[in-house]
Amino acid sequence: MRFSRRDLLKGAAVAGASTALAGAAEAREPVEPRPDAVGMLFDATRCVGCRACQTACKRANQLPEDRVTPPAGGEYDAPNDLNARTKNVIKAFEGQGGPTYMKQQCMHCVDPSCVSVCMMGALHKEGEGKRDMGGEKKGTGIVIYDKGLCVGCRYCQIGCAFNVPKFEWDAALPLIQKCELCRHRRDEKKGGVRAVANPACAEVCPREAVIYGRREELLAEAKRRVAAEPGRYNPRVFGEKDGGGTQVLYLAPAGVEFKQLGLPQLGDESQAHFSESVSHAPYLHGVTPVALYAAVAFVIRRNKKKEEAAEHGEEGK
Amino acid sequence: MGAHGHPKAIGGALLAPPMKTLLALFGVAAAVIAYRVFAGVGPVSNMSDGFTWGIWEPVNVVVFTGIGAGAYAVGLLCYVLNKGQYHGLVRPAVLVGAISYTLGGSSILVALGRYWNAVLLPWLPFWNLGSALLEVAVCVMTYTAVLWVEVLPAILEAAAQGPSSRWSAVGKRWGARLAVAMPFIIALAVLLPTMHQSSLGGLMLIAGPKIHPLWHTALLPTLFLVSCLSMGFGAVVVLVNLLRLSWNAKADQKLFVELSRVNAALLLFYVVLRVGDVALHGKLRFLGANFPTFLFLVELALFVVPAILFLSPKVQANRGRLFGAALLSLAAGAVYRVDTYMTMYRPAGWTDGVANPAGWDYWPSLGELAVTVGMASVGVAVFILVSRLFPVVVVQDARTHSNLGGAVKSAASR
Repeated sequence: MRFSRRDLLKGAAVAGASTALAGAAEAREPVEPRPDAVGMLFDATRCVGCRACQTACKRANQLPEDRVTPPAGGEYDAPNDLNARTKNVIKAFEGQGGPTYMKQQCMHCVDPSCVSVCMMGALHKEGEGKRDMGGEKKGTGIVIYDKGLCVGCRYCQIGCAFNVPKFEWDAALPLIQKCELCRHRRDEKKGGVRAVANPACAEVCPREAVIYGRREELLAEAKRRVAAEPGRYNPRVFGEKDGGGTQVLYLAPAGVEFKQLGLPQLGDESQAHFSESVSHAPYLHGVTPVALYAAVAFVIRRNKKKEEAAEHGEEGK
Repeated sequence: MGAHGHPKAIGGALLAPPMKTLLALFGVAAAVIAYRVFAGVGPVSNMSDGFTWGIWEPVNVVVFTGIGAGAYAVGLLCYVLNKGQYHGLVRPAVLVGAISYTLGGSSILVALGRYWNAVLLPWLPFWNLGSALLEVAVCVMTYTAVLWVEVLPAILEAAAQGPSSRWSAVGKRWGARLAVAMPFIIALAVLLPTMHQSSLGGLMLIAGPKIHPLWHTALLPTLFLVSCLSMGFGAVVVLVNLLRLSWNAKADQKLFVELSRVNAALLLFYVVLRVGDVALHGKLRFLGANFPTFLFLVELALFVVPAILFLSPKVQANRGRLFGAALLSLAAGAVYRVDTYMTMYRPAGWTDGVANPAGWDYWPSLGELAVTVGMASVGVAVFILVSRLFPVVVVQDARTHSNLGGAVKSAASR
């Protein structure tokens, strides 16, 4: 038993190196919206379903068409959902007073599941990834993709409550595709939000059903619209709190629930916060693995010595 | 190890007909994998943006490593709780563990879209510690290496006893060195599965609304940890019984009975946690005349029935019955895992226990099944190969052709 303390220390030292890392992964604070976060506001009462945004998105992102051939010949670009060729889609949801048009694209969540689950930070908030892909600005909150760090595990698809990230199933060297708020269309010469990003969908919308700007201002604008015309709107702004908040916000017509428009029902806590808190709690800032390793190594070593002593004893008899 | 009976290389023809069948099945899988490399994941699978993991993740990784947890379960008993009588089970369990984990890891490589980037995973600065999958990936890679190191003593022993004097010297020298380091390696082999088996449950925490509320709970990590142990104990009893039938391996029924008592406690512990979670979190309202309720009850039955069987003297006295009960305990964990990852997963989520309509359906394709079956086959083939060449399995001693040895030992250790 003379070795017990030394064993304990030795065990702790070996384990320390490998598990100190776990210390950084402790239970975490809820993520608040970044003050300079940008996003979009979609007003379903204004959209007439012209799908100009769909076409503009494909052109801006150089995405191939989703070709559909009607029986009489010719071809349409007619995606029926978001997919690896479609980062933005307009859908009609039938209701009592006719259809409500709904726009789908990445929500750029305040605390995104995809970012929480991504093994090497391929999907990350701009400027907060594992490496800079060039000109990333911290604080915009745009969720962008670094294909160089993506292993294609598709855990982002499991995590995303909005089913936004899409995988190129038919490619030998596939990518994850999703809206990056047309960050590549930003113009550094312009001031304000246009220097950060410039979504093609918002640029072409003829009715300003979707507008681009700072999240704070968009939220204020949404609330202003609801207050000005309470009879026109569902009083809730989707994305203010839902799933921990999103940077793309939605307004629905009065009497139409967001659920009827294909949006999930989420609590105020982000799934990332729930998952990381539960997962990390038992680690106690990395103490648990170190202590467990040391204790187990100590016990095993002692047991082995005991057994060896017993066997020698037997042979001696 | 003297009193426990010593493992022997089984010997015999390496390319017997069963081996050829196994390799042929693996050949089919290899062909599918080769096609997948050029055509992408889509053409060989029915996976979609909705059901993005198909069966490869839930079965090849989550179930295979559950079976491989026999190494963890027996290691805990044998080394940590110092039940020396289980020594004979360690080597086969560790070999199965090493093989299952290797297969789990390689199956993931097949499923990964951008597999070549996986070489970056060991690079620490890229780690996102918030990702449960990263923890699983790093832990599983390390643990697979640890398991193969744990297999090494068998190989070094074979070398030490071999005819070549040079190899014999190598085997003796490194065998002794490894023996000194072993407690620290085994401690790692206890820590790592504790971490990643619970993380396998933790993986699905973030899927929140997409998993039926009877399955989604903050207890997922705990339930996965407990179920890996019950699967592991079940797998060891099944394995050694199969080894007895094929190679006359020493299969000490008394030991199995004791092992199964532990397993019964684990199975019942799982049931208490599971039912308690459902009852205390107000999820009883989801029970009714529906498919999720049916599956939930099937799962509970799969956990309760083997526990009762394990504790019944009639079953304990009968090799076949105990074997059957062990198989059930293995199935229990496997079904629970597949349900959590796949059967009860709906991309558009659930409302009040009813799946929201989504544009996706899933049933595994022939290609996916071929890879899963082929991977399992090559695992069995490797186990046979290693056991024939190296001392892994403890063979029934002709002189003590009874369970007496085990009985004496277990009595002595009390």
